[in-house]
Amino acid sequence: MTVNMTLPARLDVAAAGQLAEDLRSRLSDTGDIVIDAGPVAHLGALCLQVLLAAATSAHAAGRGFRLIQMSDRVLEQARYMGFTPETIAEGKP
Amino acid sequence: MTDHNDPMAEIKASFFIECEELLESLQDGLQEMDEGSEDPETINVVFRAVHSIKGGAGAFGLEELVRFAHRYETVLDEVRAHRLEADSEAHKLFFAAADHLSDLVRASRDDLPMPVAESDRLLTSLEALLGDVSDEEVRPEDFEPLGVSLTLDLPDLGDLSDVEEAPEAEEPPADSWIVRFKPEAELFDTGNEPQMLIRNLCALGEATVTCDLTDLPPLESLAPETPYLSWTITLQSTCDEAEIREVFEFVDGLCELSIQRPGAALESESLPPLGPSVTAEIARPPEPTAAPTAATDPAPEPPEPAAAAAPPFPDDTAEAAPRKSKDGGAKSVVRVDLERIERLVNLVGELVINQAMLSQSLGEAGLSPHSDAMNGLEEFQRLTRDIQDSVMMIRAQPVKSLFQRMSRIVRESSAAVKKDVRLITEGESTEVDKTVIERLADPLTHMIRNSVDHGLESPEDRGKAGKPPQGTVHLTAAHRSGRVVIEVSDDGGGIDRKKVHQVAITKGLVPPDLPLSDNEIDNLLFLPGFSTASQVSSLSGRGVGMDVVKTSIQSLGGRISIHSERGRGTTFSISLPLTLAVLDGMVVNVAGETLVLPLNVVVETLSLGPEDVQMLRPGAFVVRVRGGFVPLYDLGVMLGYRPARDRHEGAIVLLISLDDGSRAALVIDAIHDQRQVVIKGLDDSFYRAPGIAAATILGDGQIALILDPADIIAAEGPLRGAELALTQGV
Repeated sequence: MTVNMTLPARLDVAAAGQLAEDLRSRLSDTGDIVIDAGPVAHLGALCLQVLLAAATSAHAAGRGFRLIQMSDRVLEQARYMGFTPETIAEGKP
Repeated sequence: MTDHNDPMAEIKASFFIECEELLESLQDGLQEMDEGSEDPETINVVFRAVHSIKGGAGAFGLEELVRFAHRYETVLDEVRAHRLEADSEAHKLFFAAADHLSDLVRASRDDLPMPVAESDRLLTSLEALLGDVSDEEVRPEDFEPLGVSLTLDLPDLGDLSDVEEAPEAEEPPADSWIVRFKPEAELFDTGNEPQMLIRNLCALGEATVTCDLTDLPPLESLAPETPYLSWTITLQSTCDEAEIREVFEFVDGLCELSIQRPGAALESESLPPLGPSVTAEIARPPEPTAAPTAATDPAPEPPEPAAAAAPPFPDDTAEAAPRKSKDGGAKSVVRVDLERIERLVNLVGELVINQAMLSQSLGEAGLSPHSDAMNGLEEFQRLTRDIQDSVMMIRAQPVKSLFQRMSRIVRESSAAVKKDVRLITEGESTEVDKTVIERLADPLTHMIRNSVDHGLESPEDRGKAGKPPQGTVHLTAAHRSGRVVIEVSDDGGGIDRKKVHQVAITKGLVPPDLPLSDNEIDNLLFLPGFSTASQVSSLSGRGVGMDVVKTSIQSLGGRISIHSERGRGTTFSISLPLTLAVLDGMVVNVAGETLVLPLNVVVETLSLGPEDVQMLRPGAFVVRVRGGFVPLYDLGVMLGYRPARDRHEGAIVLLISLDDGSRAALVIDAIHDQRQVVIKGLDDSFYRAPGIAAATILGDGQIALILDPADIIAAEGPLRGAELALTQGV
């Protein structure tokens, strides 16, 4: 079973709390978590760390965690922070 | 005025002054972009202006300003990175956003309510531009997650020294830096993002970015608004430490930052040792769509010369900040509190008065004109005049900021009346006294609106007249014979004189049978209550306007005139004194009173002979001047100093030139002197007597009134005006 989740357009400081809450609720389900990053236009560092923590927690629970459809713009934003969609999904180096 | 006891208020005041400069360069940049500039530096200037405003606003907790600037900047960044192609519609939006940004700056400065709804509306439109970008970018063929410019270096867990030692092992060149950076929560509160800082850092050279996740807790115990990540950036660049610090200048105190040479990296540490981390190597320039081939074909992005447009915020009201002029040469400027300049101007005014007094007493003491004292006094006078000119130069400012405000007026008013209008400005660097500039904004706004609304025809009518659909308004400034001339001209239909004359007759402003010259009909537009617009638009046409404009210009000691050609357009020309602080005046005597008249209105002086004066009717005279007749006014009578006289033989008259080009003759008793006088404003608590503009203190300490001749004649009433028109035609 897969748990899907779509991210909002702006993952800025104001969105971090809600994102953490949403991910916590997804983590309480079972199955792999697939996150659609397609709508995202801005990925801020606070939301990035929520995603990283969620990925770590998911892997610790033996569940899959994937980020899909990340736009080039957001790829570049992530890259400036030292990440790729894969490393974010791994939540660890 | 700034509260001098509060250093923070002073810094904040300086920030707002800084904002004005940044907004100015923002407008300049947008203008260049709109004119098709391909120079990548142009968009950089635009971006940096918004970025610097955001940075400063963040430091003062101006949240709405930060919010808007941040998201505006994001869109500009897309243009900068060539991911967003800005067309003319986008440029219009950028202009509107720049205008709004300036509104937000002003509202923040004056503690006014924030126009949040307008911010949201503009942000939605701006971000709709981005929407297009995103749509394009998620095309499957574009979705290549990583390119060669990005390599992953994933050290083993617990291998703490790997990243730090790596540069040493590779013997990095002397031109490399290790930058460690850990944001604090306040950094995000002020609208900053690590990725933007790192991006700016990457623009300085080739960078390897490593993120440290050691402190990151599991999601269950994570506090979303607490930053846990930190970054280490190894930068290969010949830049110096100051350039790196400039990248972080707006987040000073909002993050932990250490900048070291690789050799020193292992020594002092302000950050915990690096833990598990991921590394991305970012080639310079950063290629957003980094496909494997992209790195071989880099579009060079210029380095981020943050210093050019983003100077640090001053920490004093008097501060020297290097400003880069367009040709690249640095121009040193000093920012001085206006109050100090005012004080200096006043002191120099006193000096001029004092010098006049000294001159008078030496003259009365009967000293020979060739004596050392008199020679020294002459030199003293020359120096005083030089000092005065120099002080006035300090107060002078280019009209550029004023013109930029007008370009906004054109944008807004043309949109309101659905006309396509282009504003062309010339002579923006012309300098005028600061006070004049401030008081010129309202009348100029009205004139520009008038040109857009009444001057230019509708696009359909322009088409019929064989003109391009886009109307043009020219705004020019220039120095001409010691005065500043500002012209507003349009390429519209020109004044419909028949209609204007008819309206004036209908409204009872002129007698129906009075023949008027073209020039006189044009000047009817300045009569109070005149409006030819049959429809009242939201912009103008309420019957108030040009008369108010004329009054404002006159109160500045200026003159306004119209030149119009049917079918080709109308030009309004304003001529202003360079300064409101001193005046070249003619000192005269009328009925024992000493008065000063502005020298520039005096055309010539005459002594009346028995045949020169003719009576139109009792109390109304004209004087013959070179074959023409000019109405004669007795200043002594008009000012109530003496009763009217029937004969004027032997009297001295000053022939003066009025704003509309007409002339008048003023009877006086004697001319004393021509000299520069210091204008002293009359306190508001005085009754405002018509014709009295200001006062001055003369050399003997006596107070003399400065007259405004046009005002005196206007106060004589409409009958005199009609006579004037009549006599001009002779």
